[in-house]
Amino acid sequence: MWWPPRSGPAPARPEALVAEAPTDVLDRFRQEAGLSHFELWLRYFALGGMCTGLDLEAFLYGVLRPGNHDHDVIAYALNERFRELGGDQPVPYRQDA
Amino acid sequence: MIVKAMVGTGSPPVERYIDDEPHMIADSVPETFGVLTRVAGVETIVAVRGDADITTAPEFRAILDTAIEQGARSVVIELTDLGVMDSYGLVVIAQAARHLASLGGQLTVRSPSSSVQRLLEVARINDLSHVFDLEVTPDLLAPQVAGAGVEAPVRLVTTPQSQQVWLSRGVTPVHEMVDAVLQLVVALARSIISGADGVSVSLRRDGRLVTVAASDQTITDMDASQYATGEGPCIDASVQGLWFHADELAVETRWPGFTPRAKALGINAIMSTPLHAGDRPLGALNIYSRTPSAFDEEGRKMASVFAAEASRVLSGAGLEGDDRSPAQLFEQALRSRTVITQAQGVIMERVGVADDIAYTILRRFASRSGQPLEERARDVVASTQRAGPGPTGSPSG
Repeated sequence: MWWPPRSGPAPARPEALVAEAPTDVLDRFRQEAGLSHFELWLRYFALGGMCTGLDLEAFLYGVLRPGNHDHDVIAYALNERFRELGGDQPVPYRQDA
Repeated sequence: MIVKAMVGTGSPPVERYIDDEPHMIADSVPETFGVLTRVAGVETIVAVRGDADITTAPEFRAILDTAIEQGARSVVIELTDLGVMDSYGLVVIAQAARHLASLGGQLTVRSPSSSVQRLLEVARINDLSHVFDLEVTPDLLAPQVAGAGVEAPVRLVTTPQSQQVWLSRGVTPVHEMVDAVLQLVVALARSIISGADGVSVSLRRDGRLVTVAASDQTITDMDASQYATGEGPCIDASVQGLWFHADELAVETRWPGFTPRAKALGINAIMSTPLHAGDRPLGALNIYSRTPSAFDEEGRKMASVFAAEASRVLSGAGLEGDDRSPAQLFEQALRSRTVITQAQGVIMERVGVADDIAYTILRRFASRSGQPLEERARDVVASTQRAGPGPTGSPSG
């Protein structure tokens, strides 16, 4: 599988901040969901996400802090995957808090 | 050398060597594998030396295809010097049999070891003929070779309904081969594991679990019940990558939604063993029994052997459960995001909110109805078509 994606929309800069204390909590959810970075990016993109695969990886590892909207799209992509697998939806949304 | 005239051929037996030396195949293939092709009368004899397995299957297949393309119609596969044959090797033989059948030819397997013969018999017993389009019968015409340890030859006779169009090499989708191998794994597991009344393989495809091979319809229904209720040993094994064993469904409490459905179908014991591609759990090999406590330690071991075989097939095929090309995946993602963006626009206009709030509303709609976001977005977009241009637009009929 190719990575990073060779085609797609022009990279939109995420509304992101450099995280003060990096945490890979999102990436651990990704591993639990059994998705590769590419698969998660594809789902995120399909759900309307605008960031590149590299940005997404930075969010997952907590190197960059995604904006609320991007965070929630990632959370939704993960939760949708967990639901497909018959589980609950463990990833919290920022805009529901 | 065997020289033999076959019934139905007008030409006198001609002896012609296609190749004197064994083909030594590409660098990646172990040097121990070689195929010697020679023509004896109307027969093309393909003698295999070494292992016919996952690493040598592509070359083995290419050699058989080349022989058939060059006009061979009565092909004999000589297995005297065969090392090990795995399910890949067997499928190559089965596909060559089908290819020949479509051309009115036939394939004979000569001198199979007892284990290969057993594989062929299992394929027949389990009615895999619809998968492979062949029957296995003793090769009565072949000369009996004297000597200890020589097994009776087996002829793969094609069935009349097998005269179908053969997809030429390179056109046959990889997943067709994978599905055939998985079907074989299912049949072998069912016939070899004591107490197994039904076997299936569930695999993640297009993001959800589906049954890609099953021994019968009841088993397909069993799997479907698990997907429908979102619980069961098959799902747990597929997701967690761990082994799940329900010894007696009568006392089983882990899957309250699924267990009654299984019992209604007469199932009393289930053993689900995870399949992996690389390190990732990808699906499960599910073995069902009508008898409570049917599976013993031996059965458990065999299940893990078959699951390892199926995992190897999946890893080898590089499918990892999703056989769509990146371009197809991307196209689908684009379609999805287009409809989601449209739905976002509809909500923005109706509720008068910014785009990220519209998105949050859409997401909550989807969560509440339990639909995927794309499906929910499609409903929202469709609702504008039912309702007309909307409350602020001009009324329409």
